[in-house]
Amino acid sequence: MLESYLPILVFLIMGAFFGVAPIVMGRLIAPHRPDSEKLSPYECGFEAFEDSRMKFDVRYYLVAILFIIFDLEIAFLFPWAVVLKEIGMFGFLAMSVFLGILVIGFIYEWNKGALEWE
Amino acid sequence: MIPLSDYLTLGGILFCLSMAGIFLNRKNIIIILMSIELMLLAVNMNFIAFSHYNGDTAGQVFVFFILTVAAAEAAIGLAILVVLFRNKNTINVEDIDTLKG
Amino acid sequence: MGIEEFLFFVFAAILVFAALMVVTIRNPVFAVLFLVLAFFTSAGLWLMLEAEFLAITLVLVYVGAVMVLFMFVVMMLDINLAPLKEGFIRYLPVGVLVGVIIAVEIVLVVGAKNFGLDKVVDPVGHEAGYSNTKELGRVLYTEYVYPFEIASVILLVAIIAAISLTLRKGRQTKYVKPEQQVFVRKEDRLRIVKMDAVKKQSAAEEE
Repeated sequence: MLESYLPILVFLIMGAFFGVAPIVMGRLIAPHRPDSEKLSPYECGFEAFEDSRMKFDVRYYLVAILFIIFDLEIAFLFPWAVVLKEIGMFGFLAMSVFLGILVIGFIYEWNKGALEWE
Repeated sequence: MIPLSDYLTLGGILFCLSMAGIFLNRKNIIIILMSIELMLLAVNMNFIAFSHYNGDTAGQVFVFFILTVAAAEAAIGLAILVVLFRNKNTINVEDIDTLKG
Repeated sequence: MGIEEFLFFVFAAILVFAALMVVTIRNPVFAVLFLVLAFFTSAGLWLMLEAEFLAITLVLVYVGAVMVLFMFVVMMLDINLAPLKEGFIRYLPVGVLVGVIIAVEIVLVVGAKNFGLDKVVDPVGHEAGYSNTKELGRVLYTEYVYPFEIASVILLVAIIAAISLTLRKGRQTKYVKPEQQVFVRKEDRLRIVKMDAVKKQSAAEEE
C-alpha cells in the first residue's frame, strides 16, 4: 500500500531540493561580507517606526468564517459526485436538500450585506 | 504490521496532552479552543483506526461529521471570542466574571 | 522493523511533540503553527490507515480554513501575553499529574493486552483500484442521509451565528463619493448671512 505513495515521495524530495538548492548555492557562490550598515533595516530612509505585525480588520474574519462553511460544503460534494451514478435519484435528492438548506444561509448573508466589503 | 493498540495509545496520549493543555492555559481562551481541536483530532484518530481495523466505513462517516461540527464550533467559538474582545478588551478567562452566580 | 512501523513511529513522535508544543509554547502564533504541524502529521497517519479522503479533507478544511481563522484571530486581537500565562507554573504539577494518570489508564485499557496484533489482526490493504472516496460516498448519502442533512443545518446555524455575531452595522470607513462631489453647488456649501454692522468696542469702554 505504501508503495503507491512513492511518486509523492519523489515529488516531496524534488520539491525540497529545488527549494533548498538555490539558497544553498547562493550562500556558497555569492560574495558574503555583511557589515552593520548592510544588515540594518531599511524603510524609505527612516528607522522602522513600529512593529510590522499589525492588527487585522474584523471584516477579514467574517470572510474567513464564510469560507470555512462553504469549504466544508464542497468537501461534502466530492464523494457525492464520485458515486452519483450508484446512488441514483435518492442521492441526488439528498444533495438537493443539503444544498437547498445552505442556499438559505447564502441568501441570508447576501441580504445582510456580509458579502460586501463596505 | 502496526497493532491497533498503537493507534489507540497515540490517540489517548494526544487526548491527555490536550486536556493538560486546558489545565495549564486556563487563562487564555485561544489556547483552550486549540486544545479542544486537538482533543477532537485524538478522537478522530481512534475512529479512523477502528474503521480501518474493523473494515467498517461507518467510523469514517462519523469522522466526517465530527470535522463538520468541529469547524462550525471553531467558527462560532472564535466569533464569540472576537465579540468578547471587542466589548471587554480582554480574553483572560478570569476577567469574564459578569455572570457571577 | 519495517518501513511502515518506522513511518508510524516518526509520525507519532512528531504528532506528540507538536501537541506538546501547542499546549506549552508562549506565543499563540507559534501554537497555531504547531497545531498545523499536528494536523499535517495526523493526515499522514490517516493515509496509512487508508482513510485517504478524510486525510485530504483534514488538510483542506482544517489547515486551509480553520487554522487560518485561528491565525486571523491571534493576529487580530492584539493581546498582552504576560497575564495569560501566569498560573502556568502553579497548575503545572496538577495538570501533569492528572494527564499522566489518565494516559496510564487509557493505555491500560487500549494497550497491547486488549487490542494487540493477536487480538485484532491488521487487515490486508485494498487492491490498486480501490477508492476510499467511493466507499465513503456509498454509505454517506444513503444510509446516513439523515445525519447528512443535519450537517447542513449545523452549517446553516454556523453561517447565521457568525454573521449576527461579527457583522457590524453601518460604515466603518469614511470616504468621498465622487459622483456627489462633482454635482455640488455653491448654495449647498455656502450660506451668506446679512448682518448689521457693529461698531467695535474699545477696551476703555468695556471697563
